[in-house]
Amino acid sequence: MNHDEILLELRNRIVKGNSEGALDFIHKAIDANIDPKQILNKAIIHGAEEVGRKYEEDEYFLGDMLLAADAMNECMDVIKPILTEEKHKSAGKVLIGTPEGDIHDIGKRLVVALLQGQGFEVIDLGVDVPPEKFVKEAININPDIIGISGLLTMTISKMTETVVMLRKGGIKAKIVVGGGILSEESCQYIGANAWAKDGWEGVKTIKELMEGD
Amino acid sequence: MPHNWEASVRRIWATMSGSPNMDRVPYFPLACEEIICRISGKTFRELIFSPKAYGNATIQTYEFLKADTLSIPTAYAGPAEALAFAEANNKEDVIKWADYRVFMAEQGAICKTEEDIEKLEIPDHSKISLWDNCLSAINFTREKTRFPPSCALGIWSVVQELRGVQAYRDMRKNPDLLLQLCEKVYQSQMDLYDFYKERVGHSGTIFFTGYSFNKHMMSFEDAMRYEGQFIKRLQDKTKARIILHNCGTTPYFDEICNSLDLSAVNGSHPLDIEYWVRFKEKHPDVTIIGANIDVSRELLNGTPLDVEEKVRENITHLASGGKYAVGPICCLPWGVSLNNIMAIPKAIKKWGSYPLQNQ
Repeated sequence: MNHDEILLELRNRIVKGNSEGALDFIHKAIDANIDPKQILNKAIIHGAEEVGRKYEEDEYFLGDMLLAADAMNECMDVIKPILTEEKHKSAGKVLIGTPEGDIHDIGKRLVVALLQGQGFEVIDLGVDVPPEKFVKEAININPDIIGISGLLTMTISKMTETVVMLRKGGIKAKIVVGGGILSEESCQYIGANAWAKDGWEGVKTIKELMEGD
Repeated sequence: MPHNWEASVRRIWATMSGSPNMDRVPYFPLACEEIICRISGKTFRELIFSPKAYGNATIQTYEFLKADTLSIPTAYAGPAEALAFAEANNKEDVIKWADYRVFMAEQGAICKTEEDIEKLEIPDHSKISLWDNCLSAINFTREKTRFPPSCALGIWSVVQELRGVQAYRDMRKNPDLLLQLCEKVYQSQMDLYDFYKERVGHSGTIFFTGYSFNKHMMSFEDAMRYEGQFIKRLQDKTKARIILHNCGTTPYFDEICNSLDLSAVNGSHPLDIEYWVRFKEKHPDVTIIGANIDVSRELLNGTPLDVEEKVRENITHLASGGKYAVGPICCLPWGVSLNNIMAIPKAIKKWGSYPLQNQ
């Protein structure tokens, strides 16, 4: 198999959410001395884009996205040390969490998995995160983007409080709020820079914000 | 003027049955624990451990909202069902309590492993004191208002609580295991239904939280597999009318009405009012509760006039001939101004009396 064929096969296995098969091919790619940046861009990131396209076209659903994200992450675990050795720049640093009062994290987990799988450094604070913790961690980590994801309508007020405290704390990072309960109006109310209604849109929004910098 | 619950009951029944004898469009809000705490000034613990206090606070809240319905919010297939499973399986530590909102279970902690699912004990609701309190509170509200309560059930909402995000991986990697969990949740819901019947009486209507029926969650085929088939079984067993609630942004309301016999749908999406006009034409026997009044839009960020206008739009397009109830979706959240909340009954009073204006 030539390099392009290996990368295509790896990409296909990621898209199908076949972690074992993807691992097989990422090792083949490394053994064939393919540049790890090419592996990341041509197989993993293109794979993520393909998965997103299938989701947007109603061919894929949450379960398919999660399995593909798992495969991406397994591959990233293999090439990350090589990329680090080569001083590959992280795609961006994202601090993310579910606000205080909410424990739902399905969308957030998908965002974390998809971002990590595409070379982002993601610090997941978990669920039920008080505003103070967001501020403290944002000061420590200095993220490019802060993601606040929730499911409950009642968490809109907690998202607002978190954004206010982050800004009062001098945090300049762009803030993305996510969840099916949100809208353009609620994003404005909360004071966030952007919003996303689901995990895939969250990933796209974060990448767009990073590219805008 | 005291709240006239008798008139509310008549209004709801007339609307659901499409009777021409209606005075006005009914109001069907969902008041969750948070807003009941806010309006009553009591903590959730004060309420949940005293059925009388909970019943009184719930009546106080719904009367304050000028609603035509009434329900004890904790008594549904959400956190309370997770708590029942947690207690039955000695995992109470996964439940996180709060002062002014409902407790919650750590998602996925009760059924973390395949073994957890295989060994999962189905709760005996009569032994769960929280459920006993909820049903006592339901009985209290019924005695005080004569408003007939409805049993609230669900499958996927509970599966998500128990299995968390892993349920979506199971869907592709281990569907039989997932179906095993759905079956256990169904058995638990039937136990709850039987307990409800024994304590409260037959529930002619079931408010079903159908979280799977949303494109963000799964395909419609999967929704039917993991939730819809259980609704059919539930209907065969109970012969109850089903109100299907889905507060997601891409619900399968049209598809589900083609596949299941529903009495009403309760949701706020799609936001396009024309969708709902077509829905009403296509499913004339299904009552619409809600349509496009979403709590995260006008209610949260608009003015009382914006809210009134949204309610007017819904009434004008959908209330002719009945089969429509105003209902913001989902629960009224903490941060919404009371002026905006109260703009809803005001608008109903202004625009919702039959015969409708502009008709």
